[in-house]
Amino acid sequence: MLLNRNSSGKRWHLRPDGVGKVTGQLQYLTDMTLPDMIHGRVLRSSYPYARILSIDITGAEAMEGVFAVLTSKDVPGLNLFGIATPDQPVFCEDVVRYIGDAIAAVAADSPERAALALDAIRIEYEEWTPLDSPEAAMAPGAPELHEHGPGNVLHRTEIKRGNVEEGFAACEHIVSETYYTPRQMHAYMETEGGLFVPDENGRLHVYAATQHGYKDRMQLARIIGCSEEDIRVISSPIGGSFGGKDELNVQPYGALLALRCGRPVKMHNSRKESVRAGLKRHPMKIEMQTGISREGMIQAHRVRITADTGAYATLGAPVLNFCTEHCLGPYSIPNVDVEGVSVYTNNGVSGEFRGFGGNQAIFAIEGQMDRLAEIMNMDPWEFRRRNMREKSDPGPLNQRILVTDGLSQVWEAMDRSELWQKHLHPPADPALPPWIKRGVGAAIAMHGAGLGYGIPDPAGGRLSLNAEGKIEVAFSYEEFGQGLIATLEMMLCDLFHCSTSDLSIIIGDTDRVPHSGSSTASRSTTMAWMALQRLQAPFRSKILSVASTLSGIPADELITGIEGVWRKDQLSPEVTANEPTMNSKVLVSYVDLAKHGEAEEWIFDTQFEYPTTPDNVVGGHYLYTYAAVAAEVEVNTLTGEAKLLDTRHVVAAGPVINPMGFIGQIEGGSVMALGFTLTEDAVMQDSRYTTTNLDTYLIPTIRDIHTNLEVEAIEDLPEGDPFGPRGIGEIGSVALAPAITAAIHQATGVWVNRLPVPRDQLIKPLSVSLQEGVSSS
Amino acid sequence: MTEPLSNFWTAVVNGEKKQLHIAQTTRLVDVLRSHLNLTGTKVSCEVGRCGACMVLMNGEPVNSCLVMAYQCAGSEITTIEGLLGEKEGELHPIQQAFVEEGGFQCGYCTPGMVISTKALLDRNPQPSQEQIETGLCGNLCRCTGYGGILRAVNKVIDERDRVGSTP
Repeated sequence: MLLNRNSSGKRWHLRPDGVGKVTGQLQYLTDMTLPDMIHGRVLRSSYPYARILSIDITGAEAMEGVFAVLTSKDVPGLNLFGIATPDQPVFCEDVVRYIGDAIAAVAADSPERAALALDAIRIEYEEWTPLDSPEAAMAPGAPELHEHGPGNVLHRTEIKRGNVEEGFAACEHIVSETYYTPRQMHAYMETEGGLFVPDENGRLHVYAATQHGYKDRMQLARIIGCSEEDIRVISSPIGGSFGGKDELNVQPYGALLALRCGRPVKMHNSRKESVRAGLKRHPMKIEMQTGISREGMIQAHRVRITADTGAYATLGAPVLNFCTEHCLGPYSIPNVDVEGVSVYTNNGVSGEFRGFGGNQAIFAIEGQMDRLAEIMNMDPWEFRRRNMREKSDPGPLNQRILVTDGLSQVWEAMDRSELWQKHLHPPADPALPPWIKRGVGAAIAMHGAGLGYGIPDPAGGRLSLNAEGKIEVAFSYEEFGQGLIATLEMMLCDLFHCSTSDLSIIIGDTDRVPHSGSSTASRSTTMAWMALQRLQAPFRSKILSVASTLSGIPADELITGIEGVWRKDQLSPEVTANEPTMNSKVLVSYVDLAKHGEAEEWIFDTQFEYPTTPDNVVGGHYLYTYAAVAAEVEVNTLTGEAKLLDTRHVVAAGPVINPMGFIGQIEGGSVMALGFTLTEDAVMQDSRYTTTNLDTYLIPTIRDIHTNLEVEAIEDLPEGDPFGPRGIGEIGSVALAPAITAAIHQATGVWVNRLPVPRDQLIKPLSVSLQEGVSSS
Repeated sequence: MTEPLSNFWTAVVNGEKKQLHIAQTTRLVDVLRSHLNLTGTKVSCEVGRCGACMVLMNGEPVNSCLVMAYQCAGSEITTIEGLLGEKEGELHPIQQAFVEEGGFQCGYCTPGMVISTKALLDRNPQPSQEQIETGLCGNLCRCTGYGGILRAVNKVIDERDRVGSTP
């Protein structure tokens, strides 16, 4: 179904957070203030790699209006953080490893005074030559950035099957290419920050954005040396994250300063500080050799992935796992030899980012498909079809995966599309000047959801009738813009035929929600749906049985609806929740029900794990989402500018719960991928950022997009599928790059292997050599 | 430390006269957010690129991170909090369109985007696609891909068209 407002009908659900957002009334956590609050700032390293010889904070401490100056000596607990591998110091003590490393933090009565206090801290360094690339870090004799070694390798991966040497020997054609992807910045509009408030009972209230409040709480407790219950983390609403706020950022400093000063401390990173200290997408170099038989069947695939993980681990290892899994694409390949390595350097820290390593892998594997198809003189879409996995084939890691028709469905839908059909007859417009070239390209992807086998991936939730008579759900997911709250409203209204005014939705507050995992890896919609499937029956049964007792009508004649329980004949499920039958009225209201019995009797909890493959393959996924993307591109061969004219995304992710949210996520992901492809790169020179703000780091503007982006949703799932709608937070961002570079190839003949697309590669020489008898006019 | 030179700053903010004792080098964005608690105006890039802090100054859109207090003293300033619907409790038609078309996701760019849309449509009630793009290219959005925003702006224009053509 082509997804838009018209086709969505009554499911075009207005977001409950909309009015607050368009009026500016909604308070983000960085908007919060308290009367007696003070301001925190962090002193970061002057060098990307150096030994700290001495730190003198006396000048800063003596300044008027300065409440505290903290260094590593002031960390009561563990002076390290990291969501999976805690190897990043809260405050560096002896060595700095990147330009964002923190050495001290101050709290003062104004942000300006805090900045002056940072200037007054004296640090002596012994500057060392930074390891500014994975090659430098892997070179023999390179210093080791971390003690756990060997070398500067964070993590290695491999997939080996068949015999790749024999495979290549039997091949008719082999394509070798090396692909390079940029250090993309999340560029969320709200930079990191929040308010840290100690209360009179000794508890700390943390109002700061994160994708996983409970993980923040655990890490902060470890740093502070207190129990987790001594901390409350409030973590929504969030002004964008895209993976970039999954790790701790300002929280350790805000928390420690607030506890030291006994006052609320506000932190809010400047954009420059956010760039300097924040996570980025892993820049990768992916070498690929792919061989095919005379018939065009892939026989052998050799891949070498090198990822620059920067100074600290964060999620570098899982990102490399994901990239490794996805660099085989949705193809059936008998002989495979993949090796990946994630390398510590003195560059900015790379971590989680929408797509999680899939974007880099899919750019490379799809690039190979187009090159091989051209060698075969075969249609690139047909070439993909021949080599695509069968739906019952194992997944890329030879693991069992859930069987669906998603892959062939997105292939066929794209094959039929008008946009993709254009590639057969490259659009030539005689009105265009000869230096403007147009082409059409397409790519396909399967993208895993959830954290994968062997990684704790808890889920769950709570459904209750609260004291106010509202149907309340509580999840530890976060609203960072994706529309989670609206989606939850829609699921609940669907289940209970109630209206949004009957609901209370609680997220992002560790004091009020159960531990039900994080908003990450395209998992929240699936998790919430699965939790509600488990909770709805006992909850409904309790409501109907109490309503039966109170009304004297058998429970099987009752149904939940707007404001309370109704007689079925007065409100059947077919009657939409907004249109109760004429003259009917609610039999027992939720408010009256809630007065019956103890509050605890109305609370229902569930705990479970996100579905993973049953096979022992670490990181292996079970649920995949499928997508095909086509792009029409115009290249100006005088300037090297490539402009996206038209795009179509076909996504097979099961039932669309929230069409507005679905479109928003695909459109937003697509434009983020447009930036990844054409303009975005957080350039580092000698391990220092040269692009430090949004004036030089260029994310797409409204002028750069293609205004007729179409989203086609394929909603089929196997009958009785127990997992429900799949997440689509990432799938819109993973396959546009190869579609664009394929289109550029059709337009210009240039094979692009580096992102963002280097303009100089697309510029045709202006001068044409003169030939006898040919006019130069 | 010496206190920065400060004196009274007056302006009309959202129709109300405001008088503050602040340094004249204070940025307008800080005047609004820190001194007047109007946090609908957002702070993001602080170099005038992203438009999150866009407000109207005497009807013209300006990045409030680039305007100093002395530059806007005596001006009429409209922030997102100053946009009103026709009746009390109603949204401004631009805000209403953003809600209905999903012209926001995280919402952090939204106040600035709404202000720029107002400035665009105040100047030119019937802008072409290119004029819309020019009018809004100073506002960055990282979430929506701009699709919902464009649909919202077009909805406002269409709605005015429809109402305008009614006898």
